[in-house]
Amino acid sequence: MAERYSATEQGENPGLGFADIVRQHQAMVFSIAQHFLTDRSAAEELAQDVFLQLHATLPTLKSEDHVKFWLRKVTAHRCIDYQRRRRVSQISLEDAPEQVASTHSGDLFLEKRVRQLIATLPEKPRMVVILRYQEDMSPEDIAVALAMPLATVKSHLQRSLAMLREKMTRTIGEVVI
Amino acid sequence: MNPPNEDMKHIDEFLKTALRREEAPPGFAEGILARVEQQPTVKPKEEHVPWFHLFSRPLVRWAAFATVFASLIAGSIHYRNVRREQAKGEAAKQQLMLALHIAGSKLQLARSKVNGIQTSQPDHERETNRSRSKS
Amino acid sequence: MRNVNRKSLLSVFLLLVSPFLRAQEIKLPAEVEKLSATAKEIVEVKMDGPMLRWASKFLSAEDPDEQKAAKLVQNLKSIYVRNFEFDKENAYSSTEVDSLRSQFGPPVWSRVVGVRSERDGENVDVYFKLENEKMAGIVIIAAERRELTFVNIVGPIEVDQLADLGGEFGIPRLKTKPSSSNPLAKVEKGDHK
Repeated sequence: MAERYSATEQGENPGLGFADIVRQHQAMVFSIAQHFLTDRSAAEELAQDVFLQLHATLPTLKSEDHVKFWLRKVTAHRCIDYQRRRRVSQISLEDAPEQVASTHSGDLFLEKRVRQLIATLPEKPRMVVILRYQEDMSPEDIAVALAMPLATVKSHLQRSLAMLREKMTRTIGEVVI
Repeated sequence: MNPPNEDMKHIDEFLKTALRREEAPPGFAEGILARVEQQPTVKPKEEHVPWFHLFSRPLVRWAAFATVFASLIAGSIHYRNVRREQAKGEAAKQQLMLALHIAGSKLQLARSKVNGIQTSQPDHERETNRSRSKS
Repeated sequence: MRNVNRKSLLSVFLLLVSPFLRAQEIKLPAEVEKLSATAKEIVEVKMDGPMLRWASKFLSAEDPDEQKAAKLVQNLKSIYVRNFEFDKENAYSSTEVDSLRSQFGPPVWSRVVGVRSERDGENVDVYFKLENEKMAGIVIIAAERRELTFVNIVGPIEVDQLADLGGEFGIPRLKTKPSSSNPLAKVEKGDHK
């Protein structure tokens, strides 16, 4: 779409354009933040800040795709910055305690476990994984969004997946995945 | 154990499932809109633009050039007028000195003639002339 | 020492001619004016009071001669100088000179110097104008073999300033005899002009 967005559109309801964008992309922004920070309230606050920033920047964005890309990029960078400021002690993937496999594990448990494992990744590999699997972004797009070389993106992906796979294998015993 | 490719496929899908989007908390959008309304008109951040960045605008640049050029012209005209005035004054001074010089030299000539005559006159003739003048 | 000016009067400083002449009631006779056609070089300087004041602003405070000149002209009303230089002798006759001299007589003007010298062909007349027993002007008519000069200075000139005029400007100051009461010089044998 080539039409330019504006914070206030001409018409009867000046704030409609921005509101639509918020409703359209709130899940995306919130989820990136949530999966990265694993802190719901922090994720909500960060997501709100992203949209407030969007409101100020919206006149400069040229299309819906541009808006979407902008949101992903800004959310990713804000998450990484937030994490670094917080300096939450991370347990490296290697050190993450292995959960004893439970024969009664359901998907929810596994998903939660996977998310916990992802949260142990360093910031940038973590965001690479989230953008890759939550947003289905190509490595090239991830490289642009994170201002990172493509090779680095691929390396992060490969290494992170290898570690996740190993941890998950131990967690669930048999490698089902 | 599955083949590696199969493993990767499964991991991909497992991760996609684990990392699927979640709904934002209820009232999330409304909260944002409310904050936007409460904020004053969001203006783009005023960047501190150094003063000399004004000259990046063509109109400002041209105006500056025109001003400088006009000032140079005015200054040179003024300087030329001052120089002209000075030259006139110098010429007048030269004329004055010339006139005084000529007058002075002719006075000297007169004086020399008078002194020469008086020197050459015998004393008694000088006395005669003096007495004649007295009478 | 004489500054050379061309016939084209490049250095002529013509200011306020008519009012100047009217005020001074001095006119160069037509016979004298005609000498411009035959003179090799001509000097003419006319400066009235305002011009004298303006020109004196440019006199240097560091030059002794110019300093004295500044002091001399500060109260003058005008200066008029006309000088003709000729290629040869006898370029003018006594007629022209007499016509000049005839304008300066009593009661306004007093001739204080009248020198005639056949030997060297140099004749000089100096006239003073007195007002309320004070010097109000001077006229000098110098008739030389190849040169005729007319000078008219109007204003209060002190005798010592006159002496400075002659004593400065590079001409050696002559030793003056103790003043005789009558400066009128005896005319030598044979009127030249």
